[in-house]
Amino acid sequence: MRPGLILVLLASPLAAQSERDRLEGRVPAVAIPTVDSLVQLATREDLPTEPLVQKALEGGAKHQPAVRIAAAAQAMLGQLRDARALLVRAGDAPPATAAEVTTIYAALKRGLPAPVVERIVAALPHEPRGSALHAVADLATHHFEPDSAAALIIDAARQGLRGERLLDVSTAVLHEVQRGHSRAEAVAVVRRQLPNVPSPPKPAGASVAGARRPGTTALPPP
Amino acid sequence: MRGDPSDTEVVARVLGGDREAFGLVIHRYETGLLRFATRMLGSRDVAADAVAEGLVRAYRHLASCRDPSRLRTWLYRIVANRCKSYLSRRAVGDVPLEEAPPVADSTDNEASLERAEQLALVAQALARLSPDKREAFVLKHVEGLSYQEMAAVTGERIPTLKMRVHRAREALLQVLEDHA
Amino acid sequence: MNPIDPRIHQALDGDIARESLPPELRRVVDRLESAAALLAAAVPPQSAGLETRVMAAVRRPAPSGERVRRLLRWFATPQAVTFRIRPAWSLALAAAIVLLTLVPADERGPALGEHEGIAQFVGRFPDAHSVHVAGSFNDWRTGTIPLEDRDHDGVWRATVVLPTGAYEYMFVVDGERWVPDHWADRLVEDDFGRENSIVIVRATWR
Repeated sequence: MRPGLILVLLASPLAAQSERDRLEGRVPAVAIPTVDSLVQLATREDLPTEPLVQKALEGGAKHQPAVRIAAAAQAMLGQLRDARALLVRAGDAPPATAAEVTTIYAALKRGLPAPVVERIVAALPHEPRGSALHAVADLATHHFEPDSAAALIIDAARQGLRGERLLDVSTAVLHEVQRGHSRAEAVAVVRRQLPNVPSPPKPAGASVAGARRPGTTALPPP
Repeated sequence: MRGDPSDTEVVARVLGGDREAFGLVIHRYETGLLRFATRMLGSRDVAADAVAEGLVRAYRHLASCRDPSRLRTWLYRIVANRCKSYLSRRAVGDVPLEEAPPVADSTDNEASLERAEQLALVAQALARLSPDKREAFVLKHVEGLSYQEMAAVTGERIPTLKMRVHRAREALLQVLEDHA
Repeated sequence: MNPIDPRIHQALDGDIARESLPPELRRVVDRLESAAALLAAAVPPQSAGLETRVMAAVRRPAPSGERVRRLLRWFATPQAVTFRIRPAWSLALAAAIVLLTLVPADERGPALGEHEGIAQFVGRFPDAHSVHVAGSFNDWRTGTIPLEDRDHDGVWRATVVLPTGAYEYMFVVDGERWVPDHWADRLVEDDFGRENSIVIVRATWR
């Protein structure tokens, strides 16, 4: 019961501070007004704000100068707009949720070409696309041609594989390459296995038993 | 008409809890949305499905309509995306075309038949356009949206939309001239 | 498809007056406008069924599937939360959190929520005195998730319960040196001249 209570406490949005409060003390003071105004702009445009806040917190944690943090947040806002425009082009009915825009932004950030992302969005109109996009990006990272990778993942989805299982498809392909197959052979082998690609092995029991939840800051400033 | 609430007022009423007020939105826009969807999808029944789904979505997400005075554009955007969704689920090929009902005209049968034939020809030519060009032509010349409004509906830049409209006009004209 | 005189497009776009066109171009404009008028005039009869159908859906409560889908999407998105509490309670709560996060609930490990999974962080830092992981799952705080090298072989590990989803992260060695996870396959530019690693936390790992 107590871990459940921790989950509720950690996840309750009712206790969330304003975004500005989260930045104070963690981001150079000079950068906060700029980041705050970008967050307000994103709010007005119905774009997700959490990635902007995360980017500013990341810059502060990495001791980046204010001007660099502001520039990164500004660039990100443009990329979030592009992500939403892609969803519209791909035929998603509005309004795009924050999660969907963030998913597309992340896929483009991983280097997937916009037409490939559009193709996947259009092929999976009624479900979250995060796993499919990461699966394609995983293959592209290993120098698979993005269009072929997308075709395989879309085929896998059409054969009933959903969500995280699509990651198993790309993992299976990469394993075949490690076993000595060429990329084309690896794709063909896995395509023949669909939809029965193996699931990943579970972590060892000992490590799971020692798993911890990250502590969040609970103490007010002195 | 005097006494009719504006779109902004209707949206405020719906968001304030008066869900029956959404009937005003449907009444105001269903004709145009149905016409648009029918020209996009080629079938009145499928168009009715797309518009119904679009309007239900619009109701559920009404709070995210940032500018209720531009409700019309927002609704067209939702229905345009529904149409794209339907089209992408079809096999690649022409839009199936229902027989267009003859335009009723009780006074001149020959003229009405000629109009019906012309409509069938134009509708066929429209169906042969790519969905992007078809959408651009219908929004501009059938629904009468400005290029700015079309940009809000489609998310495309105005020069892109102008190019699509121009190509659509040229294609339609070619068909009309071939059958003149 | 043959391109037509651009003045036809200009007239139809309202950029020039139709009256300024020579007669043969005006005829072309008329043809296109008549075609458009046909498409606009042949309106399907106003379907009473459509309004009935939509209002029936409007009057129904939102489907529970949609509520669940919204909740799932919320859980799938990393949510960073901090909250303030009264000083009198803070020590007790901090102690409770420490106790509950460091002492597993039972031998099998923590009870995971339906939308939680396990992230394993491993890095080789033989000369390090401390290694932490910071990322979008903890607001990039450098001191909250320590890795351990229990057998002193230079390999540092941590296993963390997180909501399912994708997160960017880096290791922080000795409190100051930011290092990407070179054993991770997924890397992305951090916009500060370095690269973050990406971990995908899955619900199936329990």
